[in-house]
Amino acid sequence: MDSTVPAIQLQAIKKRFGSLEVLCGIDLEVKTGEVVCVIGPSGSGKSTLLRCIAYLEDDFEGAIYLGGELLGRVFKGGRLERVGGAALRKVQMKAGMVFQQFNLWPHKTVLGNITEALKLVKKMPRDEAEAIGDQLLGKVGLSEKRNEYPSHLSGGQQQRVAIARALAMHPEIMLFDEVTSALDPELVDEVLRVMKQLAEEGMTMVVVTHEIGFASRVADRVVFMDGGVIIEEGTPEKVLKNPNQARTREFLSLMAHEEF
Amino acid sequence: MYDWSFSVVWDYRVVYIQGALITLQLSLLAVLFSLSLGLVVGIARQSPRRSLSFPAAWYVEIFRDTPLLIQIVWIFYCLPILMGVTLSAFWASVVALSLHMSAYVAEIVRAGIASVDKGHIDAAKILGLNYFQIMRRIILPQALRRMLPPLVNNFADILKLSALASVIGVYELLHSVENVIMNNFRPLEMYSALAVVYFMLIFPVAFVARRAELYFAERF
Repeated sequence: MDSTVPAIQLQAIKKRFGSLEVLCGIDLEVKTGEVVCVIGPSGSGKSTLLRCIAYLEDDFEGAIYLGGELLGRVFKGGRLERVGGAALRKVQMKAGMVFQQFNLWPHKTVLGNITEALKLVKKMPRDEAEAIGDQLLGKVGLSEKRNEYPSHLSGGQQQRVAIARALAMHPEIMLFDEVTSALDPELVDEVLRVMKQLAEEGMTMVVVTHEIGFASRVADRVVFMDGGVIIEEGTPEKVLKNPNQARTREFLSLMAHEEF
Repeated sequence: MYDWSFSVVWDYRVVYIQGALITLQLSLLAVLFSLSLGLVVGIARQSPRRSLSFPAAWYVEIFRDTPLLIQIVWIFYCLPILMGVTLSAFWASVVALSLHMSAYVAEIVRAGIASVDKGHIDAAKILGLNYFQIMRRIILPQALRRMLPPLVNNFADILKLSALASVIGVYELLHSVENVIMNNFRPLEMYSALAVVYFMLIFPVAFVARRAELYFAERF
């Protein structure tokens, strides 16, 4: 990918659910290879923002560019109009996403989960898809689970499979939506370790998280959101240690108190 | 005290067997058609497009909220007059049963699709699967497992409801047996045996369904 073009470009993103405005105009750029952690209280709109970038929420205002290409919209007569089908999916697939609830398909094996899109979307022959699947399972340390069904795996293992599934499609961007929030505490590290490795390999990542420790160690940039707007952003050093805004300080002190 | 004589039933065993064959033919055809039709209507009902979901909803209401008996009679007697389409009594029954039961199948399909975790669909969308791939590979396999028990119920209902075809003279079980009763005047034995025959037809269906459910439960 051309490194002068931002991997993600958000222009004045607004999103409302009924009368509730969840995103009130978000502008954000993520460079190729950059790791951005988004933190903020629940209800601040950070997950919704991620879902917009994944085009799982489709009726937002504003424009989203992935690798310089408009997501789910075309310019027609100076106006943005929606576009669906293959034109949408081509841009949408630049992003891979991992969810809080894993969302593995329960009727498919671990390997089946990873190879499904390769076979259906990329029309890859079975053995080729399975070779990629096995290689990725090795990467996330789950080779021996290839033929298990997801329900027989721990939460941490399921989440690592979900990461492998997303990586199989060779996304340019990885979106992580509170991926450790549903995990037992002792399973959090195994997932964060895989994410850290990905970051070190140069993957462009947007990570919505409550793991302040992870953000301070891995992120290139931390974004603090509250009430549907970005309150503050900068290096982890600045945002997490010396925030400018009172709301950021307040939030961080509440997070610190969580571990009493 | 009534003097039972079940030997008359044995004398007329061929009538039961032939009637059962017609009942089975009628029911199996209705199962086949109502499943196909119900699947399409059920998926249309869950469609985000109102131009599909709205007519599908009305289809379901029309066929579910009117008696099957009237639908059979209407298709057999009214269709030829209104549209010049003449169906034999057997095929009129097949069509009526299929349309009627497809409304129930559609409701089962709709509920089955709605029961699938939305997160599974989100995961499929961002991996680039299109609507039909998501439906066929992600939603329906999961939905089918939940749809199986009510669909089997439906099959059992069809077997029982097929008796209504007797009103337009299809020689299925009920009509065949009633015909005999008019000659041998043994309604108690004949009707009792008839109930047993229906039971023998329907019980295996329920049995197979329970095995299928267990099989799915072990797999996931």
